[in-house]
Amino acid sequence: MTALFNSTLLLTLMILTIPLMNLPLSMKPKTAVKMAFFITMIPLIMFISSNTESVITNWSWTMTSTFTMSMSLKFDQYSIMFIPVALYVTWSILEFTHWYMTTDPYITKFFKYLLIFLIAMMTLVTANNMFQFFIGWEGVGIMSFMLIGWWHSRLEACSSALQAIIYNRAGDIGLILTMAWMATNLNSWELQQIFSHTNPIPLLPLLSLTLAATGKSAQFGLHPWLPAAMEGPTPVSALLHSSTMVVAGIFLLIRTHPMLSTNNTALTVCLCLGALTTLFTAICATTQNDIKKIIAFSTSSQLGLMMVTIGLNQPHLAFLHITMHAFFKAMLFLCSGLIIHNLNNEQDIRKMGGLHKPLPITSSCLTIGNLALSGFPFLTGFYSKDIIIETMNTSHMNAWALLLTLTATSLTAAYSLRITILVQMGQPRFQPMPPINENYNTATNPIIRLAAGSIIAGLLISLNTTPMKTPQMTMPHHMKLSALIMTIMGLTLALELITMTNKSTKPSKTHTFSNLLMYFNTLIHRSLTLLNLKFSQNTATHLTDLIWYENIGPKWMTKSQTNPITTMSSQKGLIKIYLTSFLLSITMLLLT
Amino acid sequence: MTPLHLSYFMAFIISMTGFMLHRTSLISTLLCLEAMMLSLFIATSLCPIQLQTTSFMLNPMLILTFSACEASLGLSLLVASSRTHNPNNLQNLNLLQC
Repeated sequence: MTALFNSTLLLTLMILTIPLMNLPLSMKPKTAVKMAFFITMIPLIMFISSNTESVITNWSWTMTSTFTMSMSLKFDQYSIMFIPVALYVTWSILEFTHWYMTTDPYITKFFKYLLIFLIAMMTLVTANNMFQFFIGWEGVGIMSFMLIGWWHSRLEACSSALQAIIYNRAGDIGLILTMAWMATNLNSWELQQIFSHTNPIPLLPLLSLTLAATGKSAQFGLHPWLPAAMEGPTPVSALLHSSTMVVAGIFLLIRTHPMLSTNNTALTVCLCLGALTTLFTAICATTQNDIKKIIAFSTSSQLGLMMVTIGLNQPHLAFLHITMHAFFKAMLFLCSGLIIHNLNNEQDIRKMGGLHKPLPITSSCLTIGNLALSGFPFLTGFYSKDIIIETMNTSHMNAWALLLTLTATSLTAAYSLRITILVQMGQPRFQPMPPINENYNTATNPIIRLAAGSIIAGLLISLNTTPMKTPQMTMPHHMKLSALIMTIMGLTLALELITMTNKSTKPSKTHTFSNLLMYFNTLIHRSLTLLNLKFSQNTATHLTDLIWYENIGPKWMTKSQTNPITTMSSQKGLIKIYLTSFLLSITMLLLT
Repeated sequence: MTPLHLSYFMAFIISMTGFMLHRTSLISTLLCLEAMMLSLFIATSLCPIQLQTTSFMLNPMLILTFSACEASLGLSLLVASSRTHNPNNLQNLNLLQC
């Protein structure tokens, strides 16, 4: 049976590379991903029924005799559950891309980029040693750069791609630091050997792991690249920046959680950072006007929630949230892509409205997605989000982080309601005669597929995974219902939003504060760089040139010498008279 | 005084007189300065030859080197002052007071 397991898994990974080779009869990327998804059902069912896990080690890259490295693939609970989910979502997105990018002349290249990204993500997820993980990590970073800057003649797209690379690189410092520490202190990059050390790991590598996750998963401090990454095409946003790439940082923390669980300070750092991120981005999401940016901020908020779960020492719940979040977030992005295309590339929700009748499938799926996101009972989001909030309420932790996360939960409901109301309901606010038509199967079938996933995947996944830690079974009524109460509170408070579309008032200071991302972008991207450049200009020209060369160097010497000379000199410079008198005195001396 | 000694002594006196009684331009002053240095050179090179003292034979070389330096310095001062002030005659050197 293990032969079937291993061979189907390797076949899945190989099939993904076939469209990239220049074979005469090559298959299309969508077909390859679809086949890979169906083939990967076999090991998934084997895992669910008999908990089969395997580690496949191929050739070795041994560099020295003391430090061994080999290419090894680890298929444990996390990889086996993640690969089918990722392939399902990617299959739907690739099918949607056929409709979305039909008019693009380089559509084949786009598919190839998406496929290379998927392969890099698979490398990351199945890596058994840190070197292979790093290869996948960098691969997804590079493909993210190339895909965000797909429309590279657009200035904002280029600057957003640059932002993504710079912020990801800042996080990579953490990963490289961890790898260096592991190589020098634990003598290996293989996960099995690293986890065999049960004594407490010092804080430095764990903090640098957190830094790596901050960079890749857009936690507070290195977060601006994620909203800016919405400059890329919608399939890119759906694949990279909602389901797969941004969870790579959280996945790193899940993989290395045996190291993290030994040190409580590191866990507290993760907890507080995640809580701060989730509230910050939820606040920013409530006042954004671009539909893709709202969904991007909601992704960031859910990533903060996953970070909080890691901080609670519950990596399995974080992984559950990753898998379930992928479904409805990708679907939200695909729905928004369909709406944007149908309204002639209009992305501002203040200019959308009344799409309930013209786009029935899309608007119903949008509603399903928003409900799943807010944690509506028994949809997908409920099975992970509710358990996380219950665990948070009943565990011994920081009350401030708890408060922030609960507030963010209510704000989630608020901005989801905002999207639903402003996009679908009311009178239409878009331009007359837009090309509204959703009768294309390639566009709506993926959305319906993902909607089915958003409804039942939560139940299926949570029923089929064995819980690693015992969940808290008994708690008071108010704690059990706290997530639901916060969501309903957020909804009722946000119903005020219904009246906002037909009143145009000057935005208050809090509104501007939240709309401009709490001035983080302005401060860090504009003010700080201006300060830096002015400082360097001051040092280079004023300090070096003007002061050192002129005031302290040669010119000061001349000035300081001529002043005493003029005051102290008693000669008048009448050279001829002096010389003549000298001659006269010499001759008189010689004659006498 | 031997005729040899007289020759360079008189050369020195005449060029010193020319140095002090210059009228037209500063270049004649510099030329007379060079002539003084030349006569000094001849004097210091003939003296150790006659008296057969080898330890003074390096002396004329040193004098020559330093006279070259001072001549170049004088020439550069002449050029510098003639570029900013009137380049023709430079008789009134008291105008160069700072």
